[in-house]
Amino acid sequence: MRGGGSALPRAGATAAVVVPLAALVAFPLFRLVQVAWQEGGGDLSGVLGADGLGTALRNTVVLAAGVTLAAVPLGVVLALVLRRSDLPGRAFWQATVLAPVVVPDFVLGYSWTQAYARAGFTDTLLGLSWAGVQGPLGVWLVLVVNASPLAYLVVAVGLAARAEPDLERAARVSGAGSATTLVTITLRLVFPAVAAAAVLVFVLTLGTFAIPQVLGAPAGFSTVTTRIYADLSIGGDPASFVEAVTLALLLVLVAAATVAPADSILGPRLRAARPADAQAAHPVPGRQTVRRAEAVVLGGYLAFSMCLPLAALALSSVTRALGVPPTPANWTLDSFRGVLTVRTLEALGRSLGLSVVAATLLVVLGGLVAVAERRRAGRATASLITLTLVLPGSTLAVALLIAYGRWLSGSLALILLAYLAKLWAFAHRPIAGALDRLPPAELYAARASGAGVLTAVRTVALRPLAPALLGAWLVCFLTALHEVTMSSLLYGPGSETLAVIVLNSSELGRIGPTAALSVVLTLLVAVPGILLWWASNRLRTRAG
Amino acid sequence: MPAEPALEVRDLVVAYGRTTALCGVSLSVGTAEVLALLGPSGSGKSTLLQAVAGFVVPSAGTVRLGGTTVAGNCRPVPPERRDLGVVFQNYALWPHLSALDTVAYPARRRGVGRPQARSEARAILERLRIAHLADRKPAELSGGEQQRVGLARALARRPAVYLFDEPTAHLDTHVRGVFLAELVARQREAGAAAVYATHDAEEALGLADRVALLSEGRLLQIGTPQQVYDEPVDLFAARLTGPASLIDAPDGGGTVLVRPGWARLGGPLEAEVRAVWFRGPHSDHLVAGPLGELLVREPGPPRHPVGARVGWTLLRSWPLPGPTG
Amino acid sequence: MLVLAACGGTSTGAGSSGGAGSSGGAGSSSEAASPEALTLYTCVSDTTIQPVLEAFEKSQPGSTVDLFRAPTGELNARVAADVRSGGLRADVIWGCDPLTVQAFVDQGLVGGWTPPGADAIPTQYRTDDYVGAAVLYLVAVHRTDVPAPRAWSDLTGPDYTGAVAVPDPSVAASALGALGWFAAAPGYGLDFYRDLKSNGAVQVKTPDDVTTGVAQGIYDAGMTTANAAYAARDDGSPVDVVWPEPGAVAIYGPVALATHSADSQVAQDFISFVVGADGQRVLGEAGSYPTRPGGAGPTVPADAPIVFPDWATIGQSRDTILSSYQQLFGG
Repeated sequence: MRGGGSALPRAGATAAVVVPLAALVAFPLFRLVQVAWQEGGGDLSGVLGADGLGTALRNTVVLAAGVTLAAVPLGVVLALVLRRSDLPGRAFWQATVLAPVVVPDFVLGYSWTQAYARAGFTDTLLGLSWAGVQGPLGVWLVLVVNASPLAYLVVAVGLAARAEPDLERAARVSGAGSATTLVTITLRLVFPAVAAAAVLVFVLTLGTFAIPQVLGAPAGFSTVTTRIYADLSIGGDPASFVEAVTLALLLVLVAAATVAPADSILGPRLRAARPADAQAAHPVPGRQTVRRAEAVVLGGYLAFSMCLPLAALALSSVTRALGVPPTPANWTLDSFRGVLTVRTLEALGRSLGLSVVAATLLVVLGGLVAVAERRRAGRATASLITLTLVLPGSTLAVALLIAYGRWLSGSLALILLAYLAKLWAFAHRPIAGALDRLPPAELYAARASGAGVLTAVRTVALRPLAPALLGAWLVCFLTALHEVTMSSLLYGPGSETLAVIVLNSSELGRIGPTAALSVVLTLLVAVPGILLWWASNRLRTRAG
Repeated sequence: MPAEPALEVRDLVVAYGRTTALCGVSLSVGTAEVLALLGPSGSGKSTLLQAVAGFVVPSAGTVRLGGTTVAGNCRPVPPERRDLGVVFQNYALWPHLSALDTVAYPARRRGVGRPQARSEARAILERLRIAHLADRKPAELSGGEQQRVGLARALARRPAVYLFDEPTAHLDTHVRGVFLAELVARQREAGAAAVYATHDAEEALGLADRVALLSEGRLLQIGTPQQVYDEPVDLFAARLTGPASLIDAPDGGGTVLVRPGWARLGGPLEAEVRAVWFRGPHSDHLVAGPLGELLVREPGPPRHPVGARVGWTLLRSWPLPGPTG
Repeated sequence: MLVLAACGGTSTGAGSSGGAGSSGGAGSSSEAASPEALTLYTCVSDTTIQPVLEAFEKSQPGSTVDLFRAPTGELNARVAADVRSGGLRADVIWGCDPLTVQAFVDQGLVGGWTPPGADAIPTQYRTDDYVGAAVLYLVAVHRTDVPAPRAWSDLTGPDYTGAVAVPDPSVAASALGALGWFAAAPGYGLDFYRDLKSNGAVQVKTPDDVTTGVAQGIYDAGMTTANAAYAARDDGSPVDVVWPEPGAVAIYGPVALATHSADSQVAQDFISFVVGADGQRVLGEAGSYPTRPGGAGPTVPADAPIVFPDWATIGQSRDTILSSYQQLFGG
């Protein structure tokens, strides 16, 4: 192990990246291409020339760009306010901001109509409603709100990992005010994290389905994903299926065409060594009036974008029917009874286990790619793993079924593979944002002190990366826990996830049980979530 | 009334949570004066500089720059409006900016246009003889080069007071001397005051007009390099400024402090050589006798082997005030 | 623990898949590979399918049903993926509309067999390849604070301007069935949809979205399934249900035997049970509309008018009808 051991770990590390890459990305995509090619044959032009596809494609790309342009700055602002200022009650805000992550997309879309559409909250109380919530603008807004926690998380993790207060102090003492320092120094330092967040949000929005479906349909707003859904839903004939697959591959192409250049242009430029004695950043004290203004704006934003819709959601979970006033007389726990049965508790255990395993494997896989892309040969891996993120859940599930259904159909292992493929980029980007400035000398020093590769990573690299790893783990865990589409397509006897059971039992358009599921999941993850953040804060403070 | 000092610190207290980093420090630095802050790590040197720069807010006391109170009144003046240039221990160069843009940064913040700021920056780089590094990013510079860029950035600010926070701590010995000469020359050229934090006694004594000794957040002693070397207030202060031996006074007047050059070999007092170090221009002998153990410095190579019995003469000594170990 | 379980599944699955996927149903669930096990793919609601399965397993001791239940879109995707990875794993498919099941017949996946008792089911609910087991009725749902529509054409009138929701026929097969029926119906035709559109009607995706929107109060009326509408009303939502003239549109959900399971006795037994008197009774008690006449089922008002789309025609002219429709309502 010690003497000639250096070749072996390196080969092992390469295999650890290449094998999952082939299994989770390359082979499923290859199978999809095969289906589109062999069965679509010459009809490719027929699929691509279909009526309205141009509009749908344009809608998709414009929407993704628009959401990225709004959600990423919002995430940056949230990260700066919540992570770098001594805002009172920061811990509370930090947890609240993450709330949309635990609510399934389509429930979030519903909660907005419940809050702001005709006969919604504001209409009932103030006579104010916003018809536009069901239209392109509403889709955009809800997607921005939905994506901002992710952007916030990635940027916050970047801020924590590359906090070098001396660089900001050097700017201040060179004559730059706090705002100028923010723009010319701080934002430039977190640029890799901002770029990572932008790529994630863009790709995620390209592949998003439920919110455009729920909020866009009444205004006739179609995207590539809603067309894919329509193709799969109607008919069941091979032509529609091939069309759906072709459209999904079109999304992959769009993602590849945007992400790969971004990665190859930004990637090498973002590397810079972190000084050996970088300190942890302490919250920067600010003027009380400024803090108060921040708290008011933040509170207003959260109230409008999350509290009101989520309150509407929580109320629907205890109200006996849609359209009756959510007053105590109409309250019932029926929805919760539907969620909390023996069958669902069993599924809950399965979902929790699956999410923990998926999140843990994902952090390892994400870390491996983050390391691999530091080598020239590994540069493209980061772009490659975002390609499965762009696939709508239904298409990715189909790809995995086609690739592995023969052996794994209906097993938890296949659902696990789907989570790994879908969320790999989720785990990788925050870690990469934090890792790329870890000084190699620290690892060398550990190796020279007698630590093996793994020990060196565990003892030296893990501590400074802890916030990023925890952040990545958390976002993967939460997303996997309430994942609906893929598991509802892949499950089999004995591998029903919680979302599958709840969704199956709540047909007939009943929102109540699904709302109750969201409430249960929120409570379920809020406690460990807060504990985790507390732990990561502790780690960060102690690292300084 | 004499002119206002360039920097005046009075009764400064800085506390981080429950630990107190500075505990009532007062000192002042005159125009064109270099004050060295000498102390072991954790003594409060960096905290003092950070309080002067405005990076930390003092819990009590005042900081005045050129007669203006910048900390200690209700509204502390932010760092960018204090007339200071800072050189950092870890260089603190921005990874995304070239050397030229780094040095042009302060001028840009004064509102100077980019071309003008760059040409000013280039002039400063030329004065420091590093104009050839103008287009390089920090990752492409050696430690010494990085620190020169850091110095150039501080110079570009044209401040009345420079703060140097252990600027040579990460530099190779041979680069260090060159850098120090450069630093002092530039600072004198500008006619500015400077505070230089270091834990290296030789550096502090050789470069400063006055030296302030810090320990555990308190000011032990302040004076000219010769004063603090020759007349330390206690054993800790003595050890901080250089090698020192404690022996019983030959005249029976209690314990006295002896610097290595304050005794010579040959003479009436008896001792045995315990250890010998050759140091190039001179040699140090550790000798032990009835009065105690002391270090004797002699010009040239060692003259006595370990174990030899030698005589010695005490040239001068310093009685430590107060109780000593 | 999970990983271990997964690995076990992998090795057994790989072992049994050597046989060129002749019996995909057995391969999918290796432990339950007894001759008395069958795999069912369905989109019928959980509240209906669970009691039916229970009753079947009780009536045939030793038989077990492995269930995959998903909305039509996911069901189609699963079938399509199965076909491309070793063959269909279901022994029986119970769909929610004839178009989907007919497409499976056209691909040779199911069909060729109906149970001997199928004669008891009305002819409009069966073919030679499959037989309807349950019916969905597309009816009108409306807020209690607006007048009840008597006929479908009332929805184009001033009482409902800007407040009608219709499901998207390019997503929901039931909506496509309705579109097909209206397009061919005298006095309606595509003009019905044109008038709806000019009256400000809004297209949402699925019938369930219609029910949700009307119950919430975003819309005043809409076209949805009777089950969903009655469920909302019974929960207490301020809505009511109308079976408008000329009739509620009947969409039947056929059950069909997979061609590779043609010899499976238990699969045939299951289909016979579902369309038989006992199965239909359980299904009706569970809240679905049975196809077998005379059986107990959920609410059907006395003399409620019902119309039956011509599925064969709709299947053939689907693209034409849809594209004319989309000129009106967009994609």
